Amino acid sequence: MSAPMEIIVCADSAGQLWNCAVIELHSGTNLLSYRGGNSSPRALTVLNGEYILGAQLGKNFINVWEIQRKDQLQQKIVCPGVVTCLTSSPNGLYLVAGIAEAIYLWEVSTGNLLAILSRHYQDLTCLRFTDDSSHFISGGKDNLALVWSLASVVQLDSTNAPEPRHVLSRHSLPITDIHCGLMGPQARVATASLDQTVKLWELSSGEMLLSVLFDVGIMSVTLDPCEYYLFCGGSDGGIFQVSLCSQSLSRDKTFQSDNEGNQVFKGHRNLVTCLSVSMDGTLLLSGSHDETIRLWDIQSKQSIRSINQKGPVTNAFIIPAPANMFLPDSRPGIPLPRFSRHLNPSEQGEGVETGGVCVRLAPHTQVRPKETYLEKADKLYSLMSAVTDKSVFGSGENTKVRVSELEEEVRTLKKVNKDLYDFSAQLLTKPN
Amino acid sequence: MTKSKKKKRQDDFQKVKLKVGKTKPKADNATNINFRTKGIHLTEQLKKDGSAPTTHRKLNIKDLLSQLHHYSGTVKQGALVGLRELLTLHPSELDQHLSSLLSEVAAVFTDKDPNVRMSATRLLRFIAQSVPAERTCPFFPLLSAHLSCAMTHIETGIQEDALKVLDVLLDHYPALLAARPALLLTNFLELISHKSTGGGARKGQEGKGRSWALSVNPNRNVTGQQWRLTVLLRYVHTYTCVELAEDTHPPLPTYSADSLSCPFLNVSLFSTVEGLSSVEAVRGFASTLVPLLLDVWVEASVSDRSKTDSAHLLTPDAMALMYQVLSVLQLLRKLTPQREHQDALDAWFRSEYLGEFKQQFMKNFPYGNLDTPKQRKRKDAKSSKQTPTVPGQVVEPLALNILLCQVMVSMVILNQREGPAQEPDADWLMPLRGFVQETLSSGAKLSHRHLHTLLETVWRMVITQRSRVTEDLLQAVYVQYQQMNLNLQTRTLLLSFFSRLYLQEHNHIHIARSKVLSRWLAALPIQLSQLGHRNPALSGWLLLSIQAAASRGNKDLLKSLHTHACRLYDPQEGSVVLLPAESQQRLVQLLYFLPVIPQGLLANLSRCCTAGRFSASLAASLIRIIHLRSSLSGWSVGSPDTAVCDVDYISFLFSILTGFSSDELSTLQEAGDESVLPPSPLSPLSLYPTPLEQFTHHWDVEVCHCLETLGSRSQCFDVLQNGICKNLTGLAVVPDSMAAGLLRAVARLLDQSVLPSEALLRFLSHCCLSLLSLVLTLQEAVWGACVAALGSVPRLLRMVLQLLRVGDLCEEELPQLAQILSLLLQHTTLRNHMLANASLLQHIIQDLTRYCQGEAREQWLTDLLYCYSVTMATHRGNLGLRDIY
Repeated sequence: MSAPMEIIVCADSAGQLWNCAVIELHSGTNLLSYRGGNSSPRALTVLNGEYILGAQLGKNFINVWEIQRKDQLQQKIVCPGVVTCLTSSPNGLYLVAGIAEAIYLWEVSTGNLLAILSRHYQDLTCLRFTDDSSHFISGGKDNLALVWSLASVVQLDSTNAPEPRHVLSRHSLPITDIHCGLMGPQARVATASLDQTVKLWELSSGEMLLSVLFDVGIMSVTLDPCEYYLFCGGSDGGIFQVSLCSQSLSRDKTFQSDNEGNQVFKGHRNLVTCLSVSMDGTLLLSGSHDETIRLWDIQSKQSIRSINQKGPVTNAFIIPAPANMFLPDSRPGIPLPRFSRHLNPSEQGEGVETGGVCVRLAPHTQVRPKETYLEKADKLYSLMSAVTDKSVFGSGENTKVRVSELEEEVRTLKKVNKDLYDFSAQLLTKPN
Repeated sequence: MTKSKKKKRQDDFQKVKLKVGKTKPKADNATNINFRTKGIHLTEQLKKDGSAPTTHRKLNIKDLLSQLHHYSGTVKQGALVGLRELLTLHPSELDQHLSSLLSEVAAVFTDKDPNVRMSATRLLRFIAQSVPAERTCPFFPLLSAHLSCAMTHIETGIQEDALKVLDVLLDHYPALLAARPALLLTNFLELISHKSTGGGARKGQEGKGRSWALSVNPNRNVTGQQWRLTVLLRYVHTYTCVELAEDTHPPLPTYSADSLSCPFLNVSLFSTVEGLSSVEAVRGFASTLVPLLLDVWVEASVSDRSKTDSAHLLTPDAMALMYQVLSVLQLLRKLTPQREHQDALDAWFRSEYLGEFKQQFMKNFPYGNLDTPKQRKRKDAKSSKQTPTVPGQVVEPLALNILLCQVMVSMVILNQREGPAQEPDADWLMPLRGFVQETLSSGAKLSHRHLHTLLETVWRMVITQRSRVTEDLLQAVYVQYQQMNLNLQTRTLLLSFFSRLYLQEHNHIHIARSKVLSRWLAALPIQLSQLGHRNPALSGWLLLSIQAAASRGNKDLLKSLHTHACRLYDPQEGSVVLLPAESQQRLVQLLYFLPVIPQGLLANLSRCCTAGRFSASLAASLIRIIHLRSSLSGWSVGSPDTAVCDVDYISFLFSILTGFSSDELSTLQEAGDESVLPPSPLSPLSLYPTPLEQFTHHWDVEVCHCLETLGSRSQCFDVLQNGICKNLTGLAVVPDSMAAGLLRAVARLLDQSVLPSEALLRFLSHCCLSLLSLVLTLQEAVWGACVAALGSVPRLLRMVLQLLRVGDLCEEELPQLAQILSLLLQHTTLRNHMLANASLLQHIIQDLTRYCQGEAREQWLTDLLYCYSVTMATHRGNLGLRDIY
């Protein structure tokens, strides 16, 4: 079996030829394209490897494609307002959309609207999940980034509205992009803002770890998988690489390009809106308003490929190719339900499941719980000792059978011996 | 022989015959008392031990310390005085003998003689002044053991003096005391009360089984009230120290490992506060203390009522006592080790004591001063004679009332559900609210401390209550806020109150709807503009609130900001140029949130940028923010909320590019010749030399970038061309910064596909030539701009060369021209273009040589000819090569 194939998913705001395209990362060949409408910035997501969802630019619906059926628009999810950003949880169970200043959270399996979170004061710009789907982070034009724990948001508690776990409020102009690192709730989060800074936060405590000041406003940010480098896309087209391993431990620093990892990728001529790093950390993908997508070799800082688009790039990211994508005959595991537009479906007169609690567990939580190490050790020990036990003593019923067998044998041997004795005694004592 | 013997022998007892009139003969054994005596006092030793320093009595430190064990009080006192003297003379002794000194001195805290105790206290104060806390730290357990021994001593005098020792320690070693509060706090209880040893009968009566009761000692030379007052005063001090020690949390964790160590530090910190580290412990402590305090309170109020008719008037003594009772209660509330336990403790207080508090404290609220000046005077005199220990602490009734409000309000718990029917505390909150409101809105100036307490009270009420009455309270605070001539501290306090309230609004709908708050927000921009540069710190505070509100899109604030924007961003006296850099940045960032940026504001902003009153990087970020708010940036693709219309935006960029307003340019045209370089055949335009600091235009790069991203380049260039042709081509005097900036912009924006108009080229060639004529004094940047323009627009170069008419030049200008030409020839990027104009160039050089033929060949001409020949030669070489292949 070959290594997982990585693909680029990208969309531009013109949408002349297609809404979004899938491009092979290394060869740059156009593999698939999905037609119909165009997508808003940071509002294109792959749901559970089975669907592609993209919020229509300036309209109040979300376009949905089945991932294997290219070209055909499958369905439209109508939302209460214009969707400004959209993401789905990595485990494919939840869908989160920013509609004006509120965050809408849907459960994918039933289509129920689980929560409407209105803590932002202005429009949302970005939503990101942690890789274990336990938290998500929302950034808005009111300079705030909020960290939400999914569990606390989902739980039904009518008395008090869910509160964010942390409020990251050190930016002084709207937040443009958020990147969430690996390691679930212990991840580090990078936020970019128009106030010319990128700040790195610790998700678990909400503390700011680092703030880097640039010469221009920053429109996009990403970290490589090892979190050695921070990549920041500037509003003048430069991409700034900040080394996170530097020796200086000051919490606020100003970006200066030098030879020790802090360098600039030059090539774009306008806002760099999307950044993404490949799985092995060698390739950087950038999408810009100058209507190109560029692929950079991080080590040598060269642009190795430039892909022209028909309009300003709104979404571009690298993902491992979902299994279904290239099998035209495959079907999604579950059909996408109707997404409800109101918080309580029972109040709308469709109260079929009143009183019932719909529980759906993720596939990996349905399997048998893993044994603890102690249990494993016990098992191993018994296995090892069983070998010696069996060889010496045997076990259980086997022992009885064996004992009786042995007794039988002893008896026959004795009999043989006695016969031999008798025979020889007879032979010896026989007077010749 | 015998005769002679007899003769010789005399009688043993001869009869003395006394005769009248004669003096009595003196007895043989009479003592002569005609001498005088003089005493010799040996106060100092005769021997002189050179090894150790001594006092003037020649006593060294060992002698003195051993004298402290003497039975006589005077000797001990003398020794203490001597020690003090010795230590003042020889401070080095203190370092060597600190341990023995402290242990001996501490031992005499419990001495029977009051004078000794006094001297000991004085000596301790002296030592404490000169030894820092970290060096006393190892001896502190000993000191505090002796102290608590003295505090719990059976003799009242020793108890009283122990408080003075405590004062010394409180003054100098508050942190050390705070490290072991539990012991001291129980000692305090002992001082004003005693553990009741009564059997179960009394316990049964009281139901609660309280084990401590107030004690009264008739032998004391102060009244019970005064005694309790002194004790409580110290108590409050100690508490405050403990409080402070808890508040000094470890500094914020820095990157990486520090965040791990943070919780451990916290744990160790709280475990030092032994006994008070959990809610249960605090609760137990409070349950013994609070009844006692209530008793004290009752006693104070009852003793007064017997004297006067109106129960709410108090004598100063009673008032001071009550004040201390309340401060202890307030501090007790704050003693929780962790903030999250605060609510639990508050709820417990409420359930336990609300009834009693209501009954006792609220009965006669508000309290007033008993106005009997004659009696007070006498009493003061008396008390100062009787008890010099009681500090003449006069507590104003206002302070008492305010503190009472604070204590009572802390009992209010958060109302979870809304509804007018569920206001269980309304009955007793009413007078409190009335009082607070009245005090705040009376217009009187309050001291900083009172105001602080009052604001905390209001805060608590506003947070907990969900009714309309909070609006009145806020109104009262606002009245206070609007007063003139507040000092900075008070102003900041009020300001932070409101801004904190505003930041909290998401939890409380009634706060968000508050009219007072929105009025306050709306008034902020005008205050900022009125404040000017007088108080940068306060302006910073204002800006923080404005920015928070603006980022939340508060309509009132944005409207008010919109109306006052022109004043704030005035290029001459607006806040944006007067405040320090950080506030300037905030103001610039604020522009992003303005819903609409009118033309006038844009004009102001462009002049701000060009006037050089703030840094180039800030100007660049200003341009960038305006760019983001225009429809042309396209960041927020979906939303059509653009603050700047395109025409205004482009004219804004253009006016920044030129750097001078039309008025300034027209005055330049008419200005006298003294500041302007005159035109000559070599420089067709007269240049106005801009001051150097204004010349460093970093931001025209930014403007170019913004123009580049407008859309199609050709259209953008058309716009620029029109702008230059319409506004600038008629000028005779041009500032050099403008000329350089324009050349650079044109070089950057021009596409090969676009043909620049004739008029533009003529103007630019004039600019270019004028700049080149200054080539010797020119900066690198301008030279670069010229070369870039000439390189990117070949026709411009041709035009410039055409303008060089040698015949019109006078003698002095010939070397200058030659120098320009040779520099242009040397520039590699221009070489090809020069070659394209080879015939023109040849013509000029021929003219030049012709004009100087009369004289000897000068150096400059030789240089020029050399450059020319080299250029031509390489060209021919290239041509030759091309011919070969």
